[in-house]
Amino acid sequence: MIADIQQLEKDALAELENAGSQDALLAVKTKYLGRRGLLTGMLRNISQVPAEEKPLFGKRCNEVKVLLENKIEESLLRLSEGAKKQTLTREKIDVTLPGRGTRPGRIHPVTQIRREICDIFASFGFSVVEGPEVELDYYNFEALNMPPDHPARDMQDTFYIEEKTVLRTHTSPVQVRVMQQVKPPVRILSPGRVYRRDSDVSHTPMFHQIEGLLVDYDVSFADLKGILTAFLKRVFGDATTLRFRPSFFPFTEPSAEVDIRCVMCAGRGCRVCGHSGWLEILGSGMVDPTVFQNVGYDAEVYSGFAFGLGLERIAMLKYGISDIRLLFENDIRFLRQF
Amino acid sequence: MLVSLKWLKDYVDIDVTPQELADVLTMSGLEVEEIKTIEPEFSGVVVSRILSVKKHPAADKLSLCEVTDGERTYPIVCGAPNIKTGDIVPLAKVGAVIPGGYTIKSTLLRGEQSDGMLCSEAELEIGDDASGIMQLPRDWHPGTPLEAALSIGDTVLDISVTPNRSDCLSMIGVAREVAALTGKKVRLPSVRIKEASEDILSLSSVTIIDADLCPRYSARMIKNVKIADSPVWLKTRIEAAGMRAINNVVDVTNFVMLETGQPLHAFDFHFLEEGRIVVRRSEKGEVFVSLDGKSHVLPDDTTMICDGKKPVAIGGIMGGLNSEVKDDTTVIFLESAYFNPSAIRRSARRLGMPTDAAFRFERGIDPEGVLRSLDRAAQLIAELAGAQVCKNYLDEYPRKIKKTGSIPLRLDRLRSVIGAAIEPKETIRILKSLGMKVRSDGRGKYLVDPPSARVDIEREVDLIEEIVRLYGYDKVPPSLPAAAASEISAISRLELEEKIRCTFSGSGYSEIINYSFTSPASVDYLLLPGDDIRRNFVTIKNPLTEEQSVMRTTLAYGLLETLKKNINNSSFNLKIFEIGRSFINRGNNDELPEEKNILAGLLTGGVSEDLWGGKNAVDFYDLKGCLENVFYDLKIEHCLYEAEKTEPFLHPGRSCAVVHNGVTIGYLGEVHPDVLRKMDIKNTAYIFEINLDLLNEQVSRQIVYREISKFPAVVRDVAFVVSEDMEAGKMLEIVEGQTEELLENVVIFDIYAGKGLDAGTKSLGLRFSYKAPDRTLTDTEINSIHEKIVQNTIARTGAKIRA
Repeated sequence: MIADIQQLEKDALAELENAGSQDALLAVKTKYLGRRGLLTGMLRNISQVPAEEKPLFGKRCNEVKVLLENKIEESLLRLSEGAKKQTLTREKIDVTLPGRGTRPGRIHPVTQIRREICDIFASFGFSVVEGPEVELDYYNFEALNMPPDHPARDMQDTFYIEEKTVLRTHTSPVQVRVMQQVKPPVRILSPGRVYRRDSDVSHTPMFHQIEGLLVDYDVSFADLKGILTAFLKRVFGDATTLRFRPSFFPFTEPSAEVDIRCVMCAGRGCRVCGHSGWLEILGSGMVDPTVFQNVGYDAEVYSGFAFGLGLERIAMLKYGISDIRLLFENDIRFLRQF
Repeated sequence: MLVSLKWLKDYVDIDVTPQELADVLTMSGLEVEEIKTIEPEFSGVVVSRILSVKKHPAADKLSLCEVTDGERTYPIVCGAPNIKTGDIVPLAKVGAVIPGGYTIKSTLLRGEQSDGMLCSEAELEIGDDASGIMQLPRDWHPGTPLEAALSIGDTVLDISVTPNRSDCLSMIGVAREVAALTGKKVRLPSVRIKEASEDILSLSSVTIIDADLCPRYSARMIKNVKIADSPVWLKTRIEAAGMRAINNVVDVTNFVMLETGQPLHAFDFHFLEEGRIVVRRSEKGEVFVSLDGKSHVLPDDTTMICDGKKPVAIGGIMGGLNSEVKDDTTVIFLESAYFNPSAIRRSARRLGMPTDAAFRFERGIDPEGVLRSLDRAAQLIAELAGAQVCKNYLDEYPRKIKKTGSIPLRLDRLRSVIGAAIEPKETIRILKSLGMKVRSDGRGKYLVDPPSARVDIEREVDLIEEIVRLYGYDKVPPSLPAAAASEISAISRLELEEKIRCTFSGSGYSEIINYSFTSPASVDYLLLPGDDIRRNFVTIKNPLTEEQSVMRTTLAYGLLETLKKNINNSSFNLKIFEIGRSFINRGNNDELPEEKNILAGLLTGGVSEDLWGGKNAVDFYDLKGCLENVFYDLKIEHCLYEAEKTEPFLHPGRSCAVVHNGVTIGYLGEVHPDVLRKMDIKNTAYIFEINLDLLNEQVSRQIVYREISKFPAVVRDVAFVVSEDMEAGKMLEIVEGQTEELLENVVIFDIYAGKGLDAGTKSLGLRFSYKAPDRTLTDTEINSIHEKIVQNTIARTGAKIRA
């Protein structure tokens, strides 16, 4: 009887080996392990087995049963994995087709620069303030130490609305408006559109400036250098070389123009830097006592510095734009590049 | 200011290279914008002597010369009539290059050998004289290169002089600065006048009627003047400074202006009626012809220099045609005056005459330089025009020119402004190098007297600037100020704008920036009625062009122009937005215009350019969806879109006002076909504008968490058949208006019109969602509520339930 089991095991395994499909496997399973299966039949007939063989016979039967069950399970699994794999293969798509949906739009390069600068100065504790673009002559000029007929007015060719109303030529009038409202300490940044009567490759009649102002006790020219150096290194990189050069603005004294080593030629001299190796980046200076007097600050008690820069210029340098007018043509092929 | 280094060396020694000098000047505030090299227009031309002159055997008008350069003798055939033995003349040797790029070759002229060419001024472009060979001084050595002998060739610095530094609008001023920076001394030209016996006081007089315009007027008289071309050295100087040489007298006045910064004017005395000068204000409507031949209607309060009868010059700006120095002038009345800077600036601007003289007067000339410059010029005219300077000078000085007294300087103040200590010794050295007189009070305070030419130095802070400027900005160590809390709070609208930028760019919209000015015709293109507030323009008095002559009152027109430009570039799919201001004139000159912060956008073309699965044209709902996303992002709920309120430039059936809490915050819609046609735009577009100031007021920044129900929602769909005019929004309003706590929301899931429905009707499918926070709703519970809502809705709309 033991021999029958051996034979059955051998036959079953051979049949399993040949069963290539789920159905065939299940047929084998039914043939041997089903209710009327061969192995089940053998076990059912255990009473006919001689008593001394019974324990061994029972054990063997069970061993074969477990073996077959495992084998069948294993094969079934293998077969279904294969089928799954086939399905997955059938489901293959062309992953190189472009994705569906809307491409994001771009933020205007001038806005991007403004954000960057405002973020840097926010980290220095500067708050953003605003003022009117159609401005009184008083705030645009007079309060900034440019009385009528002051030659410095030539530095900014002005659009006039009325005799005493202009399109602001810089964002500096905002500092006067703010100082009239609040007492020091003041740390403000005033970004916005400004207007000058000028139009060529490097000038548009409208452009953007950011003006900064810091007023407190004991603010010095050394502080101006410190803040502006930290700022420019954040914008143009730690390796940036800069220089502070005496200049003139009616509302600051001492005044400084700040240059960086040309980013195009590393100072060797090129078309962008006019072969000087340096790029003018911003104007700055210690707030002139006259301005403090105009807003009712005591210049003996408080001191401060102001600075201003043109956003288009920074954008042009950063992105290699040679004609400022491109920034306002709003050609979508241009805008999509930023 | 163009500064010739050769000329500058007359006043100060320079032992650094031009580049080094330029760097030093730039770093001290006189920015050198360009270093120009002036080179002669010729090469290989030398000084030579004519040894002999014979007639050419074969040509009447030619001569045969023997010419030496000191080493060799050259046979030259020459056609000029003005040469004789012993003349010193320029010789262009074989191989020389003369202006125009001609190279001199050895040649046969009518059978005679000619090894070079004798040159005229014109041929060498040294002067205009083409009548004969240029005659050189007898004592010049043959063989000397001509450019060296004539001192041609120079380096010129183009210095950008800031408006405060009027003193540097002169060679001597720049020399002073160079001397201070390089530790040298300035050499001033010595002025010595040999006066003739005739006395100006007996020949002429000056009367100043308006001393506020002209505080000082001085003059000299020069007789027996012979007007001629200036010598080469003078021409070279003037031309290096960018001016044109005219004649010896005019050139001297320009030379002295460039040298000292004092503008001068020479009158032909014979044309001064009554032989006297009167300085007065212009009369109303007075007309005057300046020496450039242009006629001017003089603005009020212009300073007029007159003779006994009539104006002869616009004071400080330009002389008159009626009294200008001409070839036959013999008596010069030379003016050196001080004019009121503001008055000059005003007049020069109104006249549109930014002359070199006006430029200097308006910035403030050296009040103490008036007489010195007068004498310097008189002396030079006498020397160069073979003339005599009359005895004495006129000097009307009715109004004292404001002079700054001693300025106190506190060392502790100096230190606190700079943020670094500069040694007192160094401080004094710097001030003295600039020509300032310094006295100490021994207790850390100084009294400083600046030189009279430094009219910009009046206050302590001006001195501090001078000190740190010469000390070197780069030597001040940077420091960081301690941060102090400020009372200025953030502008909430800006935060809103940033969120909007993110939402729009995320939806595929790119940000544009249009000019804030526009064409007055913009409102006509937009079909705005005559009483529309957007016709109240803020107008620019001096626009660059008509198209940029008013401030925009809406962003819509700019968007449409941008659309048009892009279509012309074949960019047909456009999603753009702008954030900027519009400007409304309040019709009241005392008030600044209203500036509104506006968000505007435009959509045209396909939904997506990259969509390979199909390409659909955008429509109203694409734009509206994006706007709704913005509102969703800002947690603005329940915006109403009111079709009855719309804009003249929008399609009347496809547009609406955007209303929130009863406030109209903007509009949205398809652009009116008439507008597109008028603007010659072929493509349909959708636009909107939202007033950000109003939107900002509507935004609630409070977020309150509501518990999420653990119980499922139960959904019921109903299709209502309604009139085709029934707006979905109205329908939802009616449903939502029935305050039923358990109704969580209602949305539209289907719109249908056509087969199976009566004409003039449509089916609106609504999906009702019911939910309770604390229990699962039973069918019975829902059915009764739902039925009530549906019946109510039917009652209020006349809808039928679609089978």
